[in-house]
Amino acid sequence: MAELNETIHQPVRLRIMAALVTLEPTDEVDFTYLRGLLEVTDGNLGAHLRKLEEAGYISVNKVFVERKPHTYVSATPEGRRVFQEHVKALESILKSK
Amino acid sequence: MNVSPTEAEEALAAIQAITQKTRQSIASGGTYITLIVTGLVWLIGFTCNQFAPKEIIGYIWGGLSIVGTLLGTILGFRLGRRVHSPSTSVIGKRIILFWVLLVIYGVITILIARPTDGKQATMLVVLFVMIGYLAMSLLFSFASVWWPLPITALALISYFLLPGTFYLGMGILCGGGMVALGLYIRYRW
Repeated sequence: MAELNETIHQPVRLRIMAALVTLEPTDEVDFTYLRGLLEVTDGNLGAHLRKLEEAGYISVNKVFVERKPHTYVSATPEGRRVFQEHVKALESILKSK
Repeated sequence: MNVSPTEAEEALAAIQAITQKTRQSIASGGTYITLIVTGLVWLIGFTCNQFAPKEIIGYIWGGLSIVGTLLGTILGFRLGRRVHSPSTSVIGKRIILFWVLLVIYGVITILIARPTDGKQATMLVVLFVMIGYLAMSLLFSFASVWWPLPITALALISYFLLPGTFYLGMGILCGGGMVALGLYIRYRW
């Protein structure tokens, strides 16, 4: 039986995970691009990314491109697994309605 | 943790919406830049073909090709930073090889077919370029696969139905059409 995940269920974190899981497993996405995609503020996104990183569901990679700092984010294999399980749990709630 | 069926439905709808938005955003990222840059090059180049003296047309196309390639490369590189992929360099090399081979095949076809005038040669080049874009779209993004087809149709309309103003038709219909499609994908898609 698939289980709901409290960390992922928060609306912004749910959308972050949905966006990251849509990418190829080896791809990572730029912080500013993700912010625009989700239409959230820097601070809001940063706080939710920290929670997901602490849980081990995403990995954050900070690099310098042409001397400018860039932050790239990707879903970890564990994050992908937990997200898929969360989606299955949501679907099963709907089916049992 | 308790979630009601209504909350579950809303959560699934939110997931579906952001998944679709992410896919469209990634798919349209390169497409609209390609369309706008290529469209502007065609709009200016073919309009000059119609009206400018023959002696300077070669220089105009040469300049436009350089500007178009530089713009496309720089903007494509900037957009490419949004999504990092370890496979990008391998795919990039294959894309370059594909276009080089397509150009070689195009030149060979033109040498064999020996077009009788500039319009036939232009049409053959346009068809090869559209085959290239169609192949790229089919390989990398089904969401943007449709655009080379109407542009090819507009080029054929210019060639068969507007022979007297073929270059102007190519500039306005195809070049302008590409710019309009690019702007539509960027702002409305």
